[in-house]
Amino acid sequence: MSRILALAPVLATLPAQAAPASAESTAAIPRLARQVATAVRAQRVEAPVAVNVTGGSAELRRAVSTMLASQLAAAGLAPVVLDAPTADAAEALARAQGTRTLVRLSLDIEGGELRARGDLLGTWVNFWSGRTPTRPSKPAATLVEAVPADAAVLALALESEGPSTSPAPHEGTPQGIRLLGATLARLEHPLAALAAGDLDGDGNDEVLALTEHDVSVFDAEGRLIARRELDHLPAAGATTREPFGALAVLPGPPRLAAWSTRHAHGELLALDKARGTLRVVGTLDQAPLSATERGPFAPGQTTFAPAVKLAEGRTLTVPAPFTTASLDGRRMLFVYPDGAAAYYAHAGAAPVRWSSLGAGSALGDLDGDGVPELVTTSPLLSPSPDVVRVYATTVDDPGAREPLWQGALPPGRALYAVTANLEGGKRREVIVGLWKPDGTSELFLLRQGAP
Amino acid sequence: MRLRSTLTCAVLLASASAQAAGRPRYGGELRVAHDGPPEVVEPALADTPLEATLLGLLSRPVCQATRDGGVAPALARTLSRPTSQSLHLALPSTASATALARAWMRLASTEGASPYRALFHPVRGEARQLTPRGDALELTLSYPWPDLERSLCHPALAPPASASPLGPFTAAGRGALEAQTAWPQGRPYLDRLLLTATDQRGLSRLWSSRQVQVELGVASETDAIAGAALYTTFLAFSPRRLPPDFRQAVESAIDREDLTRLFVQAPAQPMPHLLPPVMLDAPARPRPPALPASAARKVTLLYDASVEDQRAVAERIQVKLHDRGYTVALEALPRAALRARWARGDYELMLHALLLPPIPGPALAVVLDAGGRRDLLGVELPAIGSLPSAAARDARARERALALAASVPLVPLYAQGLGMRFAPDVGGVMMDAQGLPSLDSLFVLPLEGTATGGRP
Repeated sequence: MSRILALAPVLATLPAQAAPASAESTAAIPRLARQVATAVRAQRVEAPVAVNVTGGSAELRRAVSTMLASQLAAAGLAPVVLDAPTADAAEALARAQGTRTLVRLSLDIEGGELRARGDLLGTWVNFWSGRTPTRPSKPAATLVEAVPADAAVLALALESEGPSTSPAPHEGTPQGIRLLGATLARLEHPLAALAAGDLDGDGNDEVLALTEHDVSVFDAEGRLIARRELDHLPAAGATTREPFGALAVLPGPPRLAAWSTRHAHGELLALDKARGTLRVVGTLDQAPLSATERGPFAPGQTTFAPAVKLAEGRTLTVPAPFTTASLDGRRMLFVYPDGAAAYYAHAGAAPVRWSSLGAGSALGDLDGDGVPELVTTSPLLSPSPDVVRVYATTVDDPGAREPLWQGALPPGRALYAVTANLEGGKRREVIVGLWKPDGTSELFLLRQGAP
Repeated sequence: MRLRSTLTCAVLLASASAQAAGRPRYGGELRVAHDGPPEVVEPALADTPLEATLLGLLSRPVCQATRDGGVAPALARTLSRPTSQSLHLALPSTASATALARAWMRLASTEGASPYRALFHPVRGEARQLTPRGDALELTLSYPWPDLERSLCHPALAPPASASPLGPFTAAGRGALEAQTAWPQGRPYLDRLLLTATDQRGLSRLWSSRQVQVELGVASETDAIAGAALYTTFLAFSPRRLPPDFRQAVESAIDREDLTRLFVQAPAQPMPHLLPPVMLDAPARPRPPALPASAARKVTLLYDASVEDQRAVAERIQVKLHDRGYTVALEALPRAALRARWARGDYELMLHALLLPPIPGPALAVVLDAGGRRDLLGVELPAIGSLPSAAARDARARERALALAASVPLVPLYAQGLGMRFAPDVGGVMMDAQGLPSLDSLFVLPLEGTATGGRP
């Protein structure tokens, strides 16, 4: 079982380091349980109340059942949690156990929301009906409640990476991908760059977010580990209208390289996890495209000049200035401002032209088969809603084909995407950076969910 | 800074769908036609919405008032308040700080002859003595004035356009403006704007033949959009030279609806109060009855020769006041001469047009100064500025505008906005709180299916 899964019950109640006192009130599952309990109590139900939850993973069902039962118990409704495979079976079981009310809920996670839908019915056994399971006229109600999902929900909904009973797929054949999403963290300013990497040396990646004003490091649950203000840096001679920049984790002793186009130069920072600070260890004169590659900004524009300095010191001339780069040491993807892209299967390969990619594009192995998939947002200037799409990289021009999976994102413009290894498994998670209409940003985490 | 980012997000979120990998693309040019003068230099005199827009391409004030009630830095990199009584402006260079300080001191001086000097009234010394420290300028307040930042966003407070870059574009000759890469808020998306000055017939012809993609100063109401109506025109009169019942004579003779319907360019609204309807939407007082005819009296009405509407309105006033026993001689003057006559108090009647700030308190300050009641600023503004809530300050300013109407020798006539239209392939259309379009946020929308690799 993964580390996150093991911590899940704790995470469900402690999602944010900054405000532990309010964690109970803001975590998704307790909130959903409270909302459902309030709806149940509004029906003036009789105790005992049976609770049957279906959908999602077993861990998510159990967590929601536990929290809901706790809420109902606090209201004096003597809850009983039933494990029944179908709605009919749940009703029969509730009657058999002598409960007076049954709450049947189905869970799903969609568009960043954890939703519970179902009904509430009376299960009082009328002696005069004999063996016929008649229902009383009251209580009877529909239940539809939803809350924004959080990292704890995704951890509970995580599809197990245990040994599969199905034959191992050939390399390059993507396995089924179904991503579930939840808000990981929110930022006060629009994102300028997004990255992931193991900054504290624990083997798991942290999520790094750059704005014009600061750079932040978040852990896998969206808790802020460290933040450093950047406003003290000298202003750039030619900045961009939109927040833009470059961010990467450099190897050796792990260091964070951050440069917003708002500033004349970037900073090289080391994480002091114990103190929750980022310490300056140097300055940057080249924008960090990845751990080892560098490239200059196009002055005043949200693009990089097409000359990429590779790890071995050689300069790669990309066909055109690009707005996004995803480099994993072997494969390289450069997305142009018009949504076309150049894909290099390896450093010496000729570029292959891809089309219809969004500014939020990244390469990463999402299904654990050893071959990266392409994650990309909408290529449109103003999609509503924006989407995240996953393609196989083993085909010609993936953007022109049917995606392996696609899903809608919360409101906002998704201009950044990275993949990360947040929990040490083979499958990488996806983090999408969204600009919100109010000038803030959101980091949206997507990971493989229960089927 | 936060607001700049908000604006950016709003631009992107409001743009039409087109293949562009999610971001507006840089490059390209737009052809812009307008019915204004070919050249605008002096900000304090470039106070029609069109002239302020054109000047704003080359020279910007320190900030831009946003429609959500905030302030976004423009020429200044940052605006901050080290204390509640001081404002620190960080400018991009020592030269721009010096140019700005010089422009403000000139505006605030007596010879500046500008009613917009009232915006500096809360500043200690009324900004007559400013000394930049390198690329920074610090203003100290005489009394609490939370609306100072938004006041400083007024286009009249921009430094005069010059060879040194003070706006998002730089003049490249023959109506061409080139994007300025070093603009502190980021270079415009476009590489170039090509401006053409014409008249209303020219605007119609250029638009129908699709020779331009943007038109400013459009009088048509059918396919145009309008900025906030903050360009206000008053009939100023000299109480010393006209009888006490002159206001009643004018109010009884002039029908504001009539003026906006028949005599001035759309978009226009009748303005019955000292503040325009966009700020003060109170019902108009009933028109007073006409006074009994008195002995004939000769007066001269001065108006701005460069504003066509004013000629039509002046002639209408001439006709209507004739019925009230006034023989009105009309005298058209260049705007600079008109302002100089206003500053000397050398007029009987004058059409006085002002681009008011979009906040009631500062707008009232400008109106009081324009009405010759500068003496009221020291009484009214501290009382408004002492209110911590913006809503309370606005309400107080509106209330005082109604209360002071009879004591200010101005007859409000109408308020106008800037009419404009944009071709469908123009993205990023955005207006500020002043009702002016931000042409530096425009970009050319790529056509669907034109992704060909690389930049255009």
